Amino acid sequence: MLKKLTRAPAALLAAALLLTGCSGGQNDASGTAGDDPVSGGTIHMLQNADFSYLDPARGWDGGVNAFYRLVYRGLTMQAAGDAEDPNAIVPDMAESLGTASEDGLTWTYTLKDGLKFDNGDPITSTELAFGISRAWDPEIGIGSPWLKNTIAAPEDYLGPYQSGEHPGIETPDEKTIVFHLIEPFPEFDSVLAQPNAVPFPVGTGAGDEFINDIVASGPYTLETYTPGSLIKLVRNEHWDPDTDDVRKAYPDAWQFEIGLDGATIDERLIAGQGADQNAISGKVQPATLARLQSPDLADRVETAEAYCVTYMGMDTTEAPFDKLEVRQAMNYAIDRTSLQTASGGNQLALPATTIIPDAVNGHKDFDLYPSEGNNGDPEKAQELLASVGLEDGFSFTLDIRSQPIMQAQAESIQQALAKINVDVQLNVIDTSTYYETIGTPSQMHDAAITGWCPDWPSSSSTMVPPLVDGRVITEKGNTNIGLFDDPEINARIDEIRAMTDLDAANEAWGDFDEQVMALAPMVPLLQEPSVFLPGENIANYIPNTSMTDLTIVGLKDPSAG
Amino acid sequence: MIRFLANRLLGMAVVLFLVCLFTYVIFFVLSPDPAVQICGKNCTPEAIDQIRANLGLDQPFWQQFWTFLSGLFVGRTYGTGANAVECVAPCLGYSFQSSQPVTGMILQRLPVSATVAIGAAVLWLLAGVSAGLVSAVREGKFTDRFITGLTLTGMSVPNYVLALSLQFLLVVTLGWLPFPQAVPFSEDPLQWFMNFLMPWIVLSIGAAAVYTRLTRANVIETLQENYVRTARAKGLSPGLVWRRHALRPALTPIVTIFGMDFAGLLGGALITETVFGLNGVGKLAADSITKNDQPVIMGVTLLAAFLVVVGNMVVDLLYTAIDPRVRVGSAA
Repeated sequence: MLKKLTRAPAALLAAALLLTGCSGGQNDASGTAGDDPVSGGTIHMLQNADFSYLDPARGWDGGVNAFYRLVYRGLTMQAAGDAEDPNAIVPDMAESLGTASEDGLTWTYTLKDGLKFDNGDPITSTELAFGISRAWDPEIGIGSPWLKNTIAAPEDYLGPYQSGEHPGIETPDEKTIVFHLIEPFPEFDSVLAQPNAVPFPVGTGAGDEFINDIVASGPYTLETYTPGSLIKLVRNEHWDPDTDDVRKAYPDAWQFEIGLDGATIDERLIAGQGADQNAISGKVQPATLARLQSPDLADRVETAEAYCVTYMGMDTTEAPFDKLEVRQAMNYAIDRTSLQTASGGNQLALPATTIIPDAVNGHKDFDLYPSEGNNGDPEKAQELLASVGLEDGFSFTLDIRSQPIMQAQAESIQQALAKINVDVQLNVIDTSTYYETIGTPSQMHDAAITGWCPDWPSSSSTMVPPLVDGRVITEKGNTNIGLFDDPEINARIDEIRAMTDLDAANEAWGDFDEQVMALAPMVPLLQEPSVFLPGENIANYIPNTSMTDLTIVGLKDPSAG
Repeated sequence: MIRFLANRLLGMAVVLFLVCLFTYVIFFVLSPDPAVQICGKNCTPEAIDQIRANLGLDQPFWQQFWTFLSGLFVGRTYGTGANAVECVAPCLGYSFQSSQPVTGMILQRLPVSATVAIGAAVLWLLAGVSAGLVSAVREGKFTDRFITGLTLTGMSVPNYVLALSLQFLLVVTLGWLPFPQAVPFSEDPLQWFMNFLMPWIVLSIGAAAVYTRLTRANVIETLQENYVRTARAKGLSPGLVWRRHALRPALTPIVTIFGMDFAGLLGGALITETVFGLNGVGKLAADSITKNDQPVIMGVTLLAAFLVVVGNMVVDLLYTAIDPRVRVGSAA
């Protein structure tokens, strides 16, 4: 869900972290304690890159999803950033979460009263069905694939502009909307919380209509958009706070200043001159961290947990990683403390021993390959290698991205594995083609460092399966880079996915994580949290590496700046 | 003169065609598959094929290149049915990443790059030529050596170092200037001017150093020409010798190099615009490179090539006006 993650399978990690705030949500709910947000004023968001798209059928990443929340509403949504479980899915325009039929194939929702677009027109089930059907348009529907993955539609349905109304979505009356699914999908409420499940006036948004202008349904609407430079949001007069249990919408306006250099953003936030005390931004640069130790700044610093795991995938179909013992030896031998240092220290990296990160629902704490101080256990690793006749070691090629942190991580792996006579050749690939290369099994070498995040954090159903399900291996855009295919694992994925009790399912995913790691198809390396520095006048800012909830942020004193 | 012009125009067309061809080959052959990038996470091979077909990427190379070339002159249409997007000539392509026509994206940013280029050019011309003249007049003296030393420093400091140090000094430490912010001229002219001041200074320092040296060398050389000695011997006043006999020939090479430098800068100051967050053509190129937005990179490359070629041509024409010998030469 992070920025590049969606565009290029692997890019997820890096870009996601870049663009969003991240906070494990639950860890830091105290936020900027003391002063409460007050209505009014303008909040400035300083950022380097422009949003991918203002059109929610096209964009899908942590940064833009946070933006969409300010201007669009759906049937359901992720809970407020300061909620007890910020990952939870709650009703938005729907009166309650969906009601599934006995067979799980039909989901029914009822709309609240008083819902309107920014032009004053009422939002009914018809507009919602229209907006959702845009996801099927081959040129526009390039955002989240989940609507298409779950709602039943004929093969030749190509969205509302080419094929008319969506045959899988019924609107029996103005307030009722019914979805027919391809197969039971117990997490369908999460699918409707995806950014592309939002209403639009019937007939709008064809071609490039929503590229530079939009029709808003949330608390704010677009005032000006200068691509690559500036976005101004002002209040949507027709948004009724009584219909919205989540969004607080404190400031009168939002100003997104785009195209700023990362170092400049940090300098501005530290200096906090004028309007910059009302500013927030994505994570701070590693080079800035040391300066944040000073007492006046330390008070403002917020940290956020990781929603992604950084791991080393190994080609489990070729020697030597086709042997379980060798893969387990890798898990023992890696020195995660040294990896942490290589990645910027304990503020920016934590050792990972599981696939599911702590912040994602379903996480279970375990370490099947423990070592003292996470420094690695070369003796144990050596033993395992000896048991398969590899006591003299071997050599393999590790694909990495041409990016300083990943190179430092790779060198740490090199040093750790040298202790068990394993020689690691680094194959440095250009950042722009990296994820495409390792997502093409014929091009990836023996192993690669990459990352993965869930499509929604309330469940681990999109965290582990894409990495280990033997049935999702493809020639291009492959996510199971280890080409791991185990019938028992595949069968277990189907079993857990069918569970309708989502809490039970999440517990099962945690156990599943452990079951998978016993087979060691990968080496989890790190969870990478982030550090944020909101302006002095900002209140209730709870950054999140998955998606920062901007709808609850406000100013302490709207007259300042 | 007409033949001269026709020759130049033909040459221009050939150069631009070759630039088109080479950039197209580079991006066509060497870049990652844009369809895979657009398709993203949870992609299927069928979806990739569908996107390739939509973008016309499944066509053979020559056909794609031909469509691109003809789009430059007659425009083209992207997409089908209700989603069709008209890209009017000169159509430089359509950005895969932001779904906008490249021509529009560039035009929107051109005023920023032009403002940067014009301001910087004025600064470096004034500073460079005057320092060069002073240096030449005081040849060998302390002032000359001091200026020569300065120019060496100016030429050696890379732009990104200069930009960041200047920002640190003027904004962070001394607080003389505000942080550059995205404001239109109409909204806050003062902030707007302050925003451009640092980029102007950064860009002009390196160029001013080069112009100083060039002016100095040319003037010194011209002053040693026989006709200058003759003029002096005839008893002309030093001022007249300077203005009429020394300055004009000494400055012609400056015109040449200025035309190309200025045209190149119009095509975007990549580093400076990026450091100061100026939304110009250079920043667009830098962003597109990280996003792998090939059509935009190509568009900016072509624009830069076009500007340099045109700049060259304008200089040649000016040259014939300034220096009659060139005209004679080309006719011969």
